[in-house]
Amino acid sequence: MNVKRVLGVVLVCALTCFFSSPAMAARGVTDDTIKLGLILVKTGPVAALGLPDGHGMVDYMKYLNEQGGVHGRKIDVIWEDDEFQPPKSVAALQKLIHRDKVLTVITTGGSQQTIANMKTINDYKLSNVPNALMKEFFDPYHPYIFAMGALYETQFECIVDYIFNDLKEKNPRIGVVYTKKEYGKIGLNAIRERAKAYGVDLVNELVLPTGAVDASSQVLTLKQNNVEYVITCDVLPPIISFVKTTEKYNYKPKAIFGFNWATDDMIVKACGKAAENYIGANFVGGWSDDSPGVKLAKKIAKKYGRDEKSIGLTSLYLHGIGASLLFGEAFKRAGRDLNPDSLKAAFETFRDFDSGGIFPPLSYTDKSHAPPEMIKLFKADVPNKRLKAITGWRKPMKMK
Amino acid sequence: MAIRSKTFRESYYEDIKLFQTIWIKFWMMLFIIALVAVPFVTDPYLVYIIDISCIATIAALGLNILTGFTGQISLGHAAFLAIGAYTTAIFASTLNMKFWVCLPASGVAAACAGLLVGIPCLRLKGLYLAMATMSFGVVVEYVTVTWEDLTLGVRGISVPTLDVFGYALDSNEKLYYFLVAVTALAVIAATNLVRTRVGRAFIAIRDRDIAAEVMGVNLTRYKVLAFAIGSFYAGVAGGLYAYVMHYIHPDHFTFLLSVQYLAMIIIGGLGSVLGSVFGAVFVTVVPEFIKALAQTMTLVFPALEDKYDDAWNIAAFGLLIMLFLIFEPKGLSGIWLRIKTCFKNWPYTY
Repeated sequence: MNVKRVLGVVLVCALTCFFSSPAMAARGVTDDTIKLGLILVKTGPVAALGLPDGHGMVDYMKYLNEQGGVHGRKIDVIWEDDEFQPPKSVAALQKLIHRDKVLTVITTGGSQQTIANMKTINDYKLSNVPNALMKEFFDPYHPYIFAMGALYETQFECIVDYIFNDLKEKNPRIGVVYTKKEYGKIGLNAIRERAKAYGVDLVNELVLPTGAVDASSQVLTLKQNNVEYVITCDVLPPIISFVKTTEKYNYKPKAIFGFNWATDDMIVKACGKAAENYIGANFVGGWSDDSPGVKLAKKIAKKYGRDEKSIGLTSLYLHGIGASLLFGEAFKRAGRDLNPDSLKAAFETFRDFDSGGIFPPLSYTDKSHAPPEMIKLFKADVPNKRLKAITGWRKPMKMK
Repeated sequence: MAIRSKTFRESYYEDIKLFQTIWIKFWMMLFIIALVAVPFVTDPYLVYIIDISCIATIAALGLNILTGFTGQISLGHAAFLAIGAYTTAIFASTLNMKFWVCLPASGVAAACAGLLVGIPCLRLKGLYLAMATMSFGVVVEYVTVTWEDLTLGVRGISVPTLDVFGYALDSNEKLYYFLVAVTALAVIAATNLVRTRVGRAFIAIRDRDIAAEVMGVNLTRYKVLAFAIGSFYAGVAGGLYAYVMHYIHPDHFTFLLSVQYLAMIIIGGLGSVLGSVFGAVFVTVVPEFIKALAQTMTLVFPALEDKYDDAWNIAAFGLLIMLFLIFEPKGLSGIWLRIKTCFKNWPYTY
């Protein structure tokens, strides 16, 4: 066969794939397979966040398949890249439903993507765990959204509580570095309100754009104002730039705090000694935790040839394993009669579900799909290039 | 007895007819039948892709009127889309207005913004104009993020389902007919516009503005008009985008989107209505096609399965655009014209 003929056959096959619509008896479930979609960023500026998360989700399902699958069915995960753009996430979801005929999707991406897809999620009864931590996703109740991680507000309230209660500060000088994204603004408001409840006003509220590679103006302002505690509301890459810049200007606040998207061993690996006062909050465990869930995650990673370097952000790999763990358990609970309704009902049977320390005990009912509002705090362990847990799972304190 | 040629025209009316020969009418009818049949013969995903292509076509038409026909380069087209999208979103979600108010209002709001940009930019050309329009895009992005009382800032706005006289267009198939109809209207309006005095004035300005002025073309009027019309198209496209996506956010209308629209009209063909359609469809559909091709390749050559990465799609798309610019600078409309000429002259090759 000459090259032209091979190319011709490939072209015809591609056109057929593109224009055809495969038929299936029931959406996404056959006697031996469950088709499960996944929409997460694989390429572009935030690929470093999506890839470990998605690899965790896919690896756990592979592991489950090797254990015999669920009720005799193997799980086939179809991962679509949305480049972290809501219009692409919407297109990907349309493809997954209409062309790949998936039962449901693990996630459709972040907050924007989930809101943009909300109508389709409801229309096609797609039980999913969004990679977003906003109250709007479970209050008011959305039947097919199952929130897994603590709200941004919860995380920042716990951080402020830690300053006043654990570190016993009376009148600390707190500054906030945030980005003008939803999590940045929500974080800023939460910190401002919480500090006010303790009778303290914020010293500085400074914007650090997500694409920032230098934070000189922010660091110098904080230094000039003798800010003792810096709370950051931005994702990992700009926070790494920020922490490195503090070292450059010899600015040593008592602590620099970050929330879940910036709480990973990577910050210690990237910043070294500059990160010695870094404390992060997260709703998943740490890679160095000695819990059965984290041990299982490490075993799975090793099985599929992933070392820490190739995983990248281990906290997100754990998050991915955790999300898939939920789906695996829900498939088990739904039984052989698996469909969108039985899957939703299965999720709603979770009561204090124990993930072995990957995330806090979790419960869903037919009236609430709220996440467990708990986090752990981790402090930089520079010699071992790790973040080590310094608290157990904790909630924000009740204020008078 | 003289034999009448098929292109021989006896009256001005015949000369300005959109469909001049029986064959053009025949193919057009066939095309319309195919368009009507699409949702019945294919899956909703392809219908969704066509829906998105329709919106891209309307916006690309607007940019082609401004850049392709009038020669006014714009790197701020996404800003006009944003103005249109936010107008529809606010009118529909906050004020409960119907589509027949929202969509024209989106067009008018964007056209007014176009006037605002067009007037101070009258003396600018080339790179300077590109910079000015790009800056306008930055200003609009800033406003959508910070004017939270109106735009809800980074939280974005949810948009209700498009309701056409009590009939909810709540699926891709239902939206399809509406979008195809609006796109057809936009294409016909643009085709007619470029044949009128206004269109010819635009082309004269693009070819040599000083010569156009000497011939009596009012540069101020027509340049500003080109901005207003181009922005009107973008505004309507933005309004439709809001209805199709059900949710809009400042991040949807970045500088990259403006570049994407510029790519559409360059690939399709500058100064060509048909080129806008081709370019918009190409840029929207080809990434999907490349993905399907890559998946097929992994089936034919299983060894590629582990090596294939989504980043390949982006690289392949970029390469395709580069090859296009090198080998077909007149764009897809140039290829189309050559194919048409070839058939017209068959069996002769010239």
